[in-house]
Amino acid sequence: MKGRGKIWAWFFIILGILYFFLPLIATFLFSLRAKLGVLSFQAYANVFNDPKFIRSFTASLLWATLTILVGIMLFVPTAYWVRLKVPKARTAVEFITLIPFVVPAIVYVFGLVRTYSQPPLLIVDSPVLLIAAYTILSMPYMYRAVDIGLRSIDVRTLTEAAQSLGAGWGTILFRVIIPNIRVSILNGAFLSFAIVMGEYILAQYLVKPAFAPYMAGLMQNKAYEPAALAVISFALTWACMGIIQVVGRGQQGQIAGGH
Amino acid sequence: MAFLEINDVSKIFGQAVAVNNFNLQVDKGELVSFLGPSGCGKTTTLRMVAGFEVPTTGRIVINGEDITYKPPNQRDVGMVFQAYALFPNMNVAGNIGFGLKIAKKPRKEIDQRVKELLTIIHMDEYGDRYPYQLSGGQQQRVALARALALSPQVLLLDEPLSALDAKIRVSLRAEIRSIQRQLGITAIYVTHDQEEALSLSDRVVVMNGGNMEQVGSPFEIYNFPKTEFVAQFVGLLNSTKAEVVDPASNRLKLDGQQVQTAESLGEYHAGDQVVVAIRPERLSFTTEGVKPNVLDCTIENITFLGAIVRITVKVGQYNLFMDTFNNPFLELPKIGDRAQITCSREAVLVVK
Repeated sequence: MKGRGKIWAWFFIILGILYFFLPLIATFLFSLRAKLGVLSFQAYANVFNDPKFIRSFTASLLWATLTILVGIMLFVPTAYWVRLKVPKARTAVEFITLIPFVVPAIVYVFGLVRTYSQPPLLIVDSPVLLIAAYTILSMPYMYRAVDIGLRSIDVRTLTEAAQSLGAGWGTILFRVIIPNIRVSILNGAFLSFAIVMGEYILAQYLVKPAFAPYMAGLMQNKAYEPAALAVISFALTWACMGIIQVVGRGQQGQIAGGH
Repeated sequence: MAFLEINDVSKIFGQAVAVNNFNLQVDKGELVSFLGPSGCGKTTTLRMVAGFEVPTTGRIVINGEDITYKPPNQRDVGMVFQAYALFPNMNVAGNIGFGLKIAKKPRKEIDQRVKELLTIIHMDEYGDRYPYQLSGGQQQRVALARALALSPQVLLLDEPLSALDAKIRVSLRAEIRSIQRQLGITAIYVTHDQEEALSLSDRVVVMNGGNMEQVGSPFEIYNFPKTEFVAQFVGLLNSTKAEVVDPASNRLKLDGQQVQTAESLGEYHAGDQVVVAIRPERLSFTTEGVKPNVLDCTIENITFLGAIVRITVKVGQYNLFMDTFNNPFLELPKIGDRAQITCSREAVLVVK
């Protein structure tokens, strides 16, 4: 009975792996067939040599970096304050952070365009609106990652210990709290990075250069290059996850016996 | 004038009175313990001194300065927490030097002070270790050194030993007391462990339900409890009801048998019901016959506790404990034997 269960477990694991990896392998193999009759990285070369790729990719990198910075500045102090001063509000705040999961991006973007394309806040053309929108979109990931980090430390006692040693709020946040939830912030940052790099609707409808709309445009008139781009974006996401793992390993031990 | 004054301090959370009209004067270099069960208000009072809670009424003065509404980071008060609260991202030296860095002391001075404190806590070689590499006792010693680094005016210790095992607790409390004496620092120590409070303190404040029950030296608190709560909470105690027979000669009746106290019963009348308390170690066997403070009893139980043998005797309807030092040649009675026990008049306490 036990052996049979094990066989089924393996069956489903292999099925899962095949389901996930087969399309990826197929896409990768397809992306190598840009030259007739030989396997080559021609499609990748074409992508990297395309100035539009560089432009859209660097634009998305910039949007992602700014989104992460704004997200950290907004959500770290908020999550810290809620946990320290208004723990009763946690459920309500958590609900608010989940709203981007419920509201479809297309509805969200139309709301933004309608609201900010008329006075008094005529900022529909400004990258500020795009960054603000991305920040909201990445809020569930960033806020929850930070909140999980705060849950792993004794926020109240560490704060009080620092206060009794003469520290003000800024010192407490930057020298005591943030260093101890560094891994969680990085988790949130990389997840936000992956979200922004792959986001299509906001950039498309707010008419800003970005990686996903470029990829979508390419798919309309090319065959192999979009496949190469899909593999590149997968590699990018995996690199982010890998970095989270590597950085996370370093701090685990430090927190384990911390209190 | 006292170094630390807590004057008429109360704290009310919503409808609940956590601390009620707390008054205490602490001299410089004195160690005062707040002792009481959970929820008695001892930690809330300490947190008000630390600045983490604001009193609803009253004021707190340290060295002549009213600090009632000062933020915690400007009070010059060091605190040691039950959960150690060492900063996990800093090593031992970093933790100890944290307050000095905040105070913008020169690098050389910080290093020197950290070294000094590591020597005081006997952890010279541990400066580079991280909190997760230390045992609970070591972490608490580092927390103590960290709190002392800035030479605060008052040191507050919030049940610092309760997370440690019994053996380390005993050795560390002696170490805390020795360091406190060595530095001459004024300290308040919160604990629910009566042995800890009695062994460490110059004075003990016993608290119950937000009220101060009694303030006194450990000797006074143990030997002369003023209230039934103190008598019950501090040490093991025989507490029974008795009837005042003759207030002029301080005579009472304990379930029909005569008892005399050294305390004046002037405020009572014959027939009044009072609570009488006798410590188990004040009772002993006797063969003196019928006279006050000689009680007929039956042996109910005998418990061997190592250095002490605890004998339970039944006097009328009351069970009383009697402690006697263990002695290999001691002739112990048997369960069910009839016997007589006695105690001095001074051992019979009438508590409110």
